[in-house]
Amino acid sequence: MGLFSESVDVDCTDLGQPRTVHWKGHPCTVINEPVRWYERRQWWIEESRAPLGSGAGLVDHEIWRVQLEPQQEQTPATHAITLDLVRHVGSGRWRLLRIHAAAPAHAVEPDEAA
Amino acid sequence: MSFTHLHVSTAFSAHYGVSWPEELAQTAAADGATALACTDRDGLYGTVKHLKACMDAGIDPIAGVDLAVFDDDGDHRTQVAGRVVVLAHGNNNGAGYRALCRLVSDAHARTSGKAGGAVPVAVTRGELASRTLDPTTLKPVLTVLLGPDSDVGRAMGGRKYLRPRTLFKQWIDAMPPGTLVAETVTHLSAPGEPLSTAHAVRMLKLALEYNIPAILSNAVRYCAQDGAATADVLDSARTLKSLPELSTAPMLQPTGQGWLKNAHQMLQLGKEIMNAAGQGKADLNKLLANTEALADKCRIDPVLDMGWKKPVVPEASILGIDCDPMIELTQRCEAGITKRFPSISGETEKQMRSRLVHELGIIGRLGFASYFLTVAEVSRMILEMGVRVAARGSGASSLVNYLIEISQVDPIRHDLIFERFLSGRRSTLPDIDLDVESAERHNVYREIFDRFGAQRVTLMSMQNGYRARGAVRDAGMALGMDEGEVSDIAKQLWRFSARKFREALVEKPELRDFAGRVERGGLEENQQLDLLVDLTERLDRLPRHISMHPCGVILGDATLLDRTPVQPSGLGLPMSQFDKHDMDPMGMLKLDVLGVRMQSAMAFAVREVIRLHPSKAEVVAAGKHPVEPGGKGPDYIAADGRIDLNAVPFDDEPTYELIRSTHTLGCFQIESPGQRELIGKMAPREFNDLIIDISLFRPGPMKSDMVRPFLEHRHGFAPEIYPHPDLKPVLQETHGVTVFHEQILKTFHVMTGCGLARADEFRRALGDEIHEPGVETYFRREAIKKYSPEVVDKVWGTLKAFGSFGFCKAHGAAFAVPTYQSAWLKTHHPEAFLAGLWEHDPGMYPKRLLVAEARRLGIPILPLDINRSHAQYRVERIQDGSDRGKLGIRLSLTGIYGLSGAELKRIVAGQPFDSLADLRARGRVSKPNIKRLAQLGAFDSLHKDSGGKANRADLVQHLQALQSSPARKPTDVIEGQLSFALGDVELRNLAPELPEPSMVENVRAELDLMAVDVSQHLMDSHRPLLDKLGVTTADKLLGLRNGTEVLVAGVRIATQTPPMRGGRRVVFISIDDGTGCVDSVFFHEAQEESGPLLFGTRLLLIRGTTRRTGPKGISLSASKAWDLGQPETLPYTDLLPAGGGMPAEYTHQGPLHGISRNLAITGLGS
Repeated sequence: MGLFSESVDVDCTDLGQPRTVHWKGHPCTVINEPVRWYERRQWWIEESRAPLGSGAGLVDHEIWRVQLEPQQEQTPATHAITLDLVRHVGSGRWRLLRIHAAAPAHAVEPDEAA
Repeated sequence: MSFTHLHVSTAFSAHYGVSWPEELAQTAAADGATALACTDRDGLYGTVKHLKACMDAGIDPIAGVDLAVFDDDGDHRTQVAGRVVVLAHGNNNGAGYRALCRLVSDAHARTSGKAGGAVPVAVTRGELASRTLDPTTLKPVLTVLLGPDSDVGRAMGGRKYLRPRTLFKQWIDAMPPGTLVAETVTHLSAPGEPLSTAHAVRMLKLALEYNIPAILSNAVRYCAQDGAATADVLDSARTLKSLPELSTAPMLQPTGQGWLKNAHQMLQLGKEIMNAAGQGKADLNKLLANTEALADKCRIDPVLDMGWKKPVVPEASILGIDCDPMIELTQRCEAGITKRFPSISGETEKQMRSRLVHELGIIGRLGFASYFLTVAEVSRMILEMGVRVAARGSGASSLVNYLIEISQVDPIRHDLIFERFLSGRRSTLPDIDLDVESAERHNVYREIFDRFGAQRVTLMSMQNGYRARGAVRDAGMALGMDEGEVSDIAKQLWRFSARKFREALVEKPELRDFAGRVERGGLEENQQLDLLVDLTERLDRLPRHISMHPCGVILGDATLLDRTPVQPSGLGLPMSQFDKHDMDPMGMLKLDVLGVRMQSAMAFAVREVIRLHPSKAEVVAAGKHPVEPGGKGPDYIAADGRIDLNAVPFDDEPTYELIRSTHTLGCFQIESPGQRELIGKMAPREFNDLIIDISLFRPGPMKSDMVRPFLEHRHGFAPEIYPHPDLKPVLQETHGVTVFHEQILKTFHVMTGCGLARADEFRRALGDEIHEPGVETYFRREAIKKYSPEVVDKVWGTLKAFGSFGFCKAHGAAFAVPTYQSAWLKTHHPEAFLAGLWEHDPGMYPKRLLVAEARRLGIPILPLDINRSHAQYRVERIQDGSDRGKLGIRLSLTGIYGLSGAELKRIVAGQPFDSLADLRARGRVSKPNIKRLAQLGAFDSLHKDSGGKANRADLVQHLQALQSSPARKPTDVIEGQLSFALGDVELRNLAPELPEPSMVENVRAELDLMAVDVSQHLMDSHRPLLDKLGVTTADKLLGLRNGTEVLVAGVRIATQTPPMRGGRRVVFISIDDGTGCVDSVFFHEAQEESGPLLFGTRLLLIRGTTRRTGPKGISLSASKAWDLGQPETLPYTDLLPAGGGMPAEYTHQGPLHGISRNLAITGLGS
């Protein structure tokens, strides 16, 4: 992990669950119940400052595993894809963490800093 | 809806919790919570602070602990199986809190109290089970929470379904019904990880299956998200592993979600758990209701459950009293009047009695009679041990304390105000501090435990928090930085709080290099330095561990251990988990028993006097004590010669003469260069002068220039000025200058009529940003009714300026007692007193200066002798030679470089020895140490007695040769068989080959091995050169006019760079030349002139001009200094008449040449 190349636009429900994700320029609908958890960060490597009062998001970040289905049939791939998205707790911005192949078992990490 | 957090660690969970009780309580209250728990790890360290914080925040406190439990199946001494939280039930008259205290003490009972002990802090499940029920009612008073860190929770990982169930079942079987609860926690970590929702679900299901109530908690370690990073650093400090190491292990908290979440967030967590568990809304409601029901059961009533602010003192019966303590105290005071004021009558008696009634009235109203009786009992007990004891501090303000012999100062005579010590407006137990002989302090502690019973006594602890150095070290370790690099940074950090690290980087010149590196950090390899600064600031002040307080002893009744948990201290005696801030809230009586070396030195001196002069007549003669015509001498000397120092009247003229001479080296409080100068200027004539002197010599008065006007007025150089005639009686004793707290109290009272008790509250508010304005308003409003605006302005200015650092006269008076007593001993029994000083080394100077002082006083210093020297210094009557009949001080065998404690004991036990062979056989002294003893002349007598012709040099050479020869088996002396007394063949047969060692060589050996010049003052060998240079000796300085230019020379004894007004550094250097001390001051230019010599030299030649400071005081304003240890650098051409080379006696190397010990000789480390 480290720098994530891809920023993602996500619309959420009132409860903060992702509803639509703009993926490769296309709006996609989140199907099924997404799964949410937190993962720790190696903040002592990734950050150069950690002053008192820097707030949330230093030690962990929020991960959502979503299954997406394109809203319009424009792409050849019609099957659902599974993505792990990271929401930065401080800024609320979303980035792509992992793309799962057809089955979530085979995760592919995006190229770092590509 | 509100939610109660039942599992919360505060910062007092050392190296674990992040947030202070106040933040947590305020945050909880702001969210609408009505209660909050404090469950610190391993103890109730934060409990009392938590109580106060909750009361301030208006919520109910809940008390608990987070404890490790021994593994029932493992080794009971070392293996733990997880941790549980234990909560005390409340509103049961303390039954729950009592059980909690005892349980925590159980957990520590097997530990050693020393760092790194093998036995962990933990309880057995049996102990836990038995403590959960009240011993009398057999009802549950504790609840045990099985959470994610319990053995059950830890077994949740992987796919082991049976294991957690088995463990859970074991708990149910082991614990009494109704004492167990399942704690569900999710920190929202990845599915299947510890602290994940999935684990919470499994815990919930176990609880449902076995019908055990489940509750919801968040296992809180920090108040807000921001604390998570600090918790990471604390985990690193606790485990001594860096963050990268912990991350790989993995041993870090899986997420940063362990904060004090609000009720809404907790509800969401509950929903998530229920969703994942496939349970409905009813189950969620049940979970939350269980949580609140448990919280309600555990709400603590601070007063009824924990005895909040209710003072508890030992039972009257343990004090040997069978009546009302107040009656007993009154009677004892009556008895004291006869002893303390034998012939009092008339107006003085009336005054004294009215004071006594006043004090007893306040004590009675507060119900503190037992407290005074307890302190009196401890004081009496210590005296009975034969240990010197003196009250210090504001306790001296009390007539009651004087009458029942807790204090030795008459408060009426010295005009001390009771309200400074205790008033009806304060309900907390007052502080009485007892000074005892330092060498006896631990014995005194043990005796107090014996006297009152171990159930009534415990030592107080203190919290040690992170300061800058420790914080930067642990922050550096967490980041995995190079240890050496971090250490280098840590060394630069002086006297600022870690929280101000970044600020200090900008300001402090010594941090300039480091600051530059931090700034460049982004560009260079040291990215971590910026983080290092941030993490250091995060650690600031967080508690690291508790340790034994240096003097606090807690005394209570038989229920003390129901009210404070205890753990072993390093001393072996139990120590409370509460610190000094917890004493008043918990109503605990704390006695400060301080070890004071001067008390040990004086006790030693008194013992030496009685040993040497075992009758009153002999002591009177030896000490030249006053004898009335036809009398036998003073009452304070007993028939057997024992001196009752505390009974010596404070009016001995020879003692004041000695003090005025400024030859006060070794006297308590008045021996420093600055004090000798002040004493010289002030010329004390009576005890009150000593009190004033001690009170003036404080950083505040010295810095704010109070001393000069005081002295000018005292000597009549300038007229005394009073702001108003009404204040003359208040300020007269200090000639119009406000010096004492007592004067501030009286000033308030005189000008506003507020009463002394309120006046003391006003004084406490001075200098306090919040409360001072109110005091000012009050003062101005009331004083203006009687006084002019100018007077009010002027007086307020004084109060404001001096209020914050004035000195309590009672403190000064209590200090002045040992000052007077030590000066009295030095005047009358100088040999015994100096021996006591050498033995206990209480002062600020290197010991060699006090040896030089003996020499200056003409007291013979008797060399080391293998058969006459003991483990302690001893005064001896000299049997022959030119000093025959005089008293001299024999050097002790302690403190010889290389000689071990065991060797020393064997030597002392085996004395006398008739030969070196005897010493080797029975003393088993190593070869190098025998050689060292020979170098110090310890065998000179033995050698002489053997009739040998050789000298010390021959012997040392012989022993040196033996050292390099292979060891032979020593001849065994069979127990009970006396060795045939042949005398020492070895010594007798030694061939005389070498010249006698020179005096310089002997003194050098003494300095090298003992850090003391014994045979001769180390300056003596430089005398020919100094005479030639025209150097003035210390004893001649006083005869010179002010402003005379002189050269002085001597060995450094003190170096001080006090902070100065205006910021320019001034260096004070004192030297000893054998005739006395010369105190010199180096101002800026002299410092420039002298450069590195200022701090780097031991032997100094100083040029300067005399500054007369008083009738007996003179010091030197230096202009330049040279190093006498390097004769080649001396400016002979400037100093000596031209012509001719230098004779050897001018240029030879002195005794200090080649000796590297600096600190012990000059008081300045290198």
